[in-house]
Amino acid sequence: MSELIQHLVNALILGGTYALLGIGLTLIFGIMNVVNFTHGVLYTVGAYVMYLAVAALGLNFFLAFPVAILGGLLLGAVIETVLLRPFRGSDIDTTMLVMIGAGIAMQSALLWIFGGVAKAIPSPFPETPLQIGPVSVSWLRLFVLGAALVLIGGTYALINRTRLGLAMRAAFQDADTAALMGVNTRWIDTATFAMGSSLAAAAGALLGPVYVVTPQMGGLAELKAFAIVILGGLGNVTGAAIGGFILAIAEELGAGYVSSGYRDAMGFLIIIAVLVYRPTGLFAKAERIG
Amino acid sequence: MLEIRDLVCGYGHVNALRGLTIDVREGQLVALVGANGAGKSTTLRAISGLVKARSGAIRFKGRDITKAEPRRILGQGIAHCPEGRRVFPQMTVAENLAMGAYLRRDRAGIAADRERVYGEFPRLAERRDQAAGTLSGGEQQMLAIGRALMARPALVLFDEPSLGLAPNIVERMFAVIGAVRDAGTTVLLVEQNAFAALELCDHAYLIETGRIVLEGSGEALIADPHVRDAYLGG
Repeated sequence: MSELIQHLVNALILGGTYALLGIGLTLIFGIMNVVNFTHGVLYTVGAYVMYLAVAALGLNFFLAFPVAILGGLLLGAVIETVLLRPFRGSDIDTTMLVMIGAGIAMQSALLWIFGGVAKAIPSPFPETPLQIGPVSVSWLRLFVLGAALVLIGGTYALINRTRLGLAMRAAFQDADTAALMGVNTRWIDTATFAMGSSLAAAAGALLGPVYVVTPQMGGLAELKAFAIVILGGLGNVTGAAIGGFILAIAEELGAGYVSSGYRDAMGFLIIIAVLVYRPTGLFAKAERIG
Repeated sequence: MLEIRDLVCGYGHVNALRGLTIDVREGQLVALVGANGAGKSTTLRAISGLVKARSGAIRFKGRDITKAEPRRILGQGIAHCPEGRRVFPQMTVAENLAMGAYLRRDRAGIAADRERVYGEFPRLAERRDQAAGTLSGGEQQMLAIGRALMARPALVLFDEPSLGLAPNIVERMFAVIGAVRDAGTTVLLVEQNAFAALELCDHAYLIETGRIVLEGSGEALIADPHVRDAYLGG
């Protein structure tokens, strides 16, 4: 029993960052109809910004985190403006190819700049974990969960409570009519891509200190993000948030009770099951954001 | 107020408008009637900037808006109530109305206009927190009209507001559009229901394959033998 609780606690912590990854990807797909193959690299970039800020520049850990988010935001805005805006109105295959190319180029650039050796981000938290009864959780992981929950809540508030969020939802449901209402749909695309990218970078910045940072770390994260988005239904933010936690629970229980070698396979088993039995996602009453 | 001169625009290799010229005077309700595919909707989409002109000019209050973005055109005071209602289905009624006032910043004015829309359409007030997609067709059309008026436009473009509605609701719809004109807002109305539009309007244009072929008062068009045969069922 205590083992199960420990697994579920671990899943909860992992799930928060998975939810961030999934929400970022599903927003971009839902509003822009772009399959974002740079999402994983943005996750890696978030981790490297964190590494640079903390290990190289000696910045405070808690200051470095928002810097990493900001880095993702800016890089996302640049990618959208330079690579996606010229292809506005092109079909989804075209932008998909552009994004695959951009992802490969960016990952190679990271390898070139930082080398292939894994980097560790020093954490300011005490080594001894928090012990509650039979369950032990490291302070760093608690911070990861807290930060992820704050960002998920912030994203919800932005989508449902602000003028930008209103315009994003309108553009998602009917871009032409949103333009007739005065929405600058090009700006909405930039804002959406930047926001989705910043969430990926935030996830990388949170998990980077938990694991280690390598140029390839985003590849698996991206595949997991796709699994979460398929699970939650394309463009469904709530679905992606819940999907992130479901994937984490599946991974933790799979690793704990089946075989730890199958941890990363769980996401793909879920994708297969969802595509066979509920191809529109688990929560697809109506596809929506918000 | 609105002058369209020799407007040509189209999609791909086809020109939907082939040299269209129209004038809308301030305070008038102008009807644009014609068959399906004659270019009525394209005209409205060109005015509001959703379709780019290939040649010709559109001027509003003396300013050239031919190449302007939709939000600039709305900012100049032209609202567009699109064909098929196009309410945001997963947003509430209140959020749809908020979208209509998206460019406005005067909170008090927006709130007052929203109450005016609710006063005009009590059904919308009852359903203000309901998703617009759950409304009936007639209610959605009322919402689309209310949403267009939330921009406080000087000119409002209505594209087929009677399409797909029950006869008693169609009647109400035309009464509402007449009331919009009577309240001082200029109206350009596109309709397949030619008779009702011609009865209501101050001035009318008949469009055929992308060109204006006839213009005059509504009565004059109703009396025209060609219009009678082709559009009013003999």
